[in-house]
Amino acid sequence: MTRTQRDEIPPGTLDMLILKTLARAGPMHGFQIADSIQKTTEDVLQVEEGSLYPALQRMLIKGWIAGEWGKTDGNRRARYYRLSPDGQQQLERELERYGRVARAIARILQPA
Amino acid sequence: MLERFQHFFRRNREAADLREEMRLHLELRARQLEDRGIPAKEAHSMAQRQFGNAGRIEDQSRDAWERGSRALGLGSWERLAQDIRLSARSLRKAPGFTAVAVVTLALGLGMNTAVFTVVDAVMLRALPYPQASRLVSMWEQVMGHQPDEMSSHGASYANSGRYTVSLANLPDYCNAKSIRALAVFDMTPKNLTGEGTPERLAGETVSEPFFSVLGVQPLLGRDFLPEDDRFGANPVTIVTYGFWQRHLGADPQALGRTVNLDEVPYRVIGVLPAWFRSPGQLTSTDQIAFYVPVAASSKMLTRRGDHDWNVVGRLRPGVTVAAAQAELAIISAALAKRYPESNQNISAVIAPLRDDLVSEVRESLWVLLGATALIVLITCVNVANLLLVRATARRHETSVRFALGASRLRIARQFLAESLLLALAGCAAGILLGRVLMGVLLVLAPASIPLIGTVSMDWSVFAVAAAVATITGVAFGVAPAWQAVQTKASEALKAASRHTGGRSQVRWRAILTATEVALSLVLLVGAGLLLKSFVLLMGVDLGFQPDRVLAMNINLPKLRYPAAEGRLQFFEQLELRVRALPGVQAAAYANRFPLRGSWGGDVETDLAPQDESDVDLQAVSPGYFETLGIPLMRGRGLTPADRNGAPLVALVNEAFVQRFFPRTDPLGHRIHHGADTPWMTVVGVVNDIRRKGKEAQITAQVYLPAAQTGYPVSLADFAVRSAGDPRQLVKAVQAQVLALDKDQPVTNVRTLEEIVSASAAQRRFQTVLLATFAAVALGLAVIGIFGVLSYLVSQRTGELGIRLALGARPRAILALVLRQAGALIGAGVALGLAAAFALTRYLESLLFGVRPTDWLSYGAAVALLAAVSLLAALLPARRGSRLDPMVALREE
Repeated sequence: MTRTQRDEIPPGTLDMLILKTLARAGPMHGFQIADSIQKTTEDVLQVEEGSLYPALQRMLIKGWIAGEWGKTDGNRRARYYRLSPDGQQQLERELERYGRVARAIARILQPA
Repeated sequence: MLERFQHFFRRNREAADLREEMRLHLELRARQLEDRGIPAKEAHSMAQRQFGNAGRIEDQSRDAWERGSRALGLGSWERLAQDIRLSARSLRKAPGFTAVAVVTLALGLGMNTAVFTVVDAVMLRALPYPQASRLVSMWEQVMGHQPDEMSSHGASYANSGRYTVSLANLPDYCNAKSIRALAVFDMTPKNLTGEGTPERLAGETVSEPFFSVLGVQPLLGRDFLPEDDRFGANPVTIVTYGFWQRHLGADPQALGRTVNLDEVPYRVIGVLPAWFRSPGQLTSTDQIAFYVPVAASSKMLTRRGDHDWNVVGRLRPGVTVAAAQAELAIISAALAKRYPESNQNISAVIAPLRDDLVSEVRESLWVLLGATALIVLITCVNVANLLLVRATARRHETSVRFALGASRLRIARQFLAESLLLALAGCAAGILLGRVLMGVLLVLAPASIPLIGTVSMDWSVFAVAAAVATITGVAFGVAPAWQAVQTKASEALKAASRHTGGRSQVRWRAILTATEVALSLVLLVGAGLLLKSFVLLMGVDLGFQPDRVLAMNINLPKLRYPAAEGRLQFFEQLELRVRALPGVQAAAYANRFPLRGSWGGDVETDLAPQDESDVDLQAVSPGYFETLGIPLMRGRGLTPADRNGAPLVALVNEAFVQRFFPRTDPLGHRIHHGADTPWMTVVGVVNDIRRKGKEAQITAQVYLPAAQTGYPVSLADFAVRSAGDPRQLVKAVQAQVLALDKDQPVTNVRTLEEIVSASAAQRRFQTVLLATFAAVALGLAVIGIFGVLSYLVSQRTGELGIRLALGARPRAILALVLRQAGALIGAGVALGLAAAFALTRYLESLLFGVRPTDWLSYGAAVALLAAVSLLAALLPARRGSRLDPMVALREE
């Protein structure tokens, strides 16, 4: 069995990743979100899958995402999450913040 | 609010949803792994590992929810429920405390609820008519002229210048655009004959629009029509539901039947619904049986000086009483101009019907309600005191909770929740007690209180009780909650065995107790003033002896006794027969006996022939003065020789002499009713009497011999003075009446003493109630003082022990504790006196012969309160002085 090297996702970015995933691919249920993040990052970023759910609950309450129960391909009941206009705004704010931080870090790490 | 609740209930579903999502996640992940060729069992455990700790995740999700809910303000709801559960548990663990607190509260709230129920029914709820707020009562007021000795041809309120309305003026008042209709009504009891034993029934004479003004339709048949109310119209009657049931066999075909009232056949044209009460019935327990139209003669319609009728009216929708009043003022002014001899200075006045009905009891009820509010305050203070003791005992618990990180808010809330729970329990118990007290109240209450028959508890009573309970819960919870918040966490670490509350506790409790003393003093002063009024009133000399006198009404119908001579003959014969009965000391007849109504009229004297003055007139038999025990002061009394044909004579009372013959001997002077009436010679002077009861003024009175029948009222009252219990004579006298006329009912049979005590009934009612309230307040204050001093002594056990060990005499210790009590009581008394001075002026209208600042009542209240409070303080003080120094010190 082969194992790729996996990294924990940086703290504070989980919300952003979820929002971005939903923004890109439309409504998904929890497993699809986790799977999508892993696949997109080619298994580099590992979500501790369970921690996805408290984050989703949090964002539901804040109104960034909306949840709706539907059926999976296998005809199972699942909650599909989709981005709300508030969530879209939040995503933009987080991306901007992330960019700012990343640029700042990059400047420090740049060889002088 | 609704959203919050939904949120609250959604929480459980949310948790289930989350579990379902996680289950799905694990299954999908496992299948994905299986698809990659991993064996099922291993795939499952790998999925689990990747997922992480499901339990922890669930907790985290719930946390997210809780934080979210808190943003909506939901957390406080849930924690409130928690607080209440906790409070209920801790109250259950202290059953003694809980019972005392709940009983105290129930006492206060119960009294308050009972009195409020009466206030609600009498003064707040709508009268039992459709759109009752548009109903008004009307009377005629003498403007700017308030003679202190006023009586009138019709009913008038002594000293107020208020007259019932003249029928002749009514059509003019009806022209007011703001008034839809006005109707007159007046009591006219009639004898029902033709069906077995004759019976005297209460009824009312009303004008045609009476029922439509009140908004009632007959249940059967029709309302009066204008043509029924014309002079000479065929007599018709609308009967009450009760009459229809009792006398017409509840027969739907009863319409069109005739009933004989005072020998006149009346055709029944309608039956009223069972709920209907005439406005006059709202202030009495009279059972009205029938209504007949006025059918006024043209003579009645022109005599503007005769003020005979009660008037009820209905305003047009949207019109205010003030607007209608303004219009009536203009009409009255025009009438005064047109008919100066009868309408000078007279103006029609209206007031909302309810206000007019309750005007006599309003003050009294507000005072009683205020008194119960004070009781509620006192119970609050008492329970606050109890809670403080308890808070002290729980100091250890509180500081441990602080040490464990509970917030001040949380602790304060916990204490408040406990108070509210107590208040709620007290409220429930109070409503139950209130029901019982209400029953007692209704038994005690005189029937003259308007609408007293309709008193019942309804939702508004419950709502008010609940509101009062909530307010009290917060009120008495504040002190202990504040106390608890002041607790320091560090105290948990100190020796917690001494359950003392420190200086702040003492201060709080002293303040509360002084307040309690002050509140009780206010009630005691109020009760004292009323009691003194009552005693003074009871001591008032009526001027005649009402004991052992039985009076009754014998209304001879005009049809059978058309002439005054016929009536006189009947009464003369009756008197002869009754005098012969064993046990009868004296018998007499008159138009009315004292306390049973009156008649008045204008009188001129030969000294000032142009000066007509209104005085009380009575037509009496010679035995009248002996029967009532009115002493003759000068001259001679009436004799059987003073009859038609003999010279006209009259007796007057001393007040009459003072007013009309202040400097001359009245004997031999002459008086008459007016210019074209014969002169009568004054032959004697009798003692003053208070005709209308103890609270009435003494008025100038003239007594005419009943056998000289020149007066316009009928003889109708008969009275007997007996040697023993006058009630035993009722049957015998009745038999004599029936022997003279088998169709003649005897009504309103009462001893004068009963009437005297009934007239004092309302006053006795309010005095007894206020005295009871004051007694309860005093009891509560005693409990409060006893509690706070016991606490002080127990707190100072060590100190007192040291003093005793160092040689202090027990007397000194006693004095020490009593001094403390004295300071407390003194502060309370000072506060209470100030409050009483401010509040007792609201009692003024209820007092009789006592000023609201009567120092004797104040002094007595202070003395009583001080004595009882010191007695309550003595017990703990003695305990303090008898401490065994060794035991006390060891305890320290």
